[in-house]
Amino acid sequence: MDTFSSPPSSGSTSPSPEAMMDQLQTQLAQAYAQEFLETLRAKCFEKCITKPGSSLSGSESSCISRCVDRYIEATGIVSRALFSRQR
Amino acid sequence: MDSSLNTSEFQQFVQQESQKAMVNEMVAKLTSACWDKCITSTPGSKFSSSESACLHNCALRYLDMSMLIMQRFQSMQ
Repeated sequence: MDTFSSPPSSGSTSPSPEAMMDQLQTQLAQAYAQEFLETLRAKCFEKCITKPGSSLSGSESSCISRCVDRYIEATGIVSRALFSRQR
Repeated sequence: MDSSLNTSEFQQFVQQESQKAMVNEMVAKLTSACWDKCITSTPGSKFSSSESACLHNCALRYLDMSMLIMQRFQSMQ
């Protein structure tokens, strides 16, 4: 990993490997976030918008906030369970 | 100085990232499946103890099941 400490190449040539990997990681993180958001939308729509009315009701919006919080919590519970097994 | 990617370094990077992606996918899939199984009512402001226990058990049982299916599949070959 010592190559990570090498200074980034200055000049207008191709981007440094470090910059490229950073960029890749950012793009991956964005993709993960987008996928997670899509899941949140699907799950919370199913749970909270059971009968779509002419506007989003107060109880629907509060259900959505709780749903988002709980889904994030559920993700934590599941990943902790998985990692507890992996040893 | 060569600014192109060191092959083994890049391979390590790809390996790390694909492992991260796999773990990510696994957690996402399990959360989705266990959410559907365990959270039957509208989400409250806090999980009940039975809901969180169900989520925990669900994830672990999924692993057990995967193992069983694998064994069953291998015994068929």
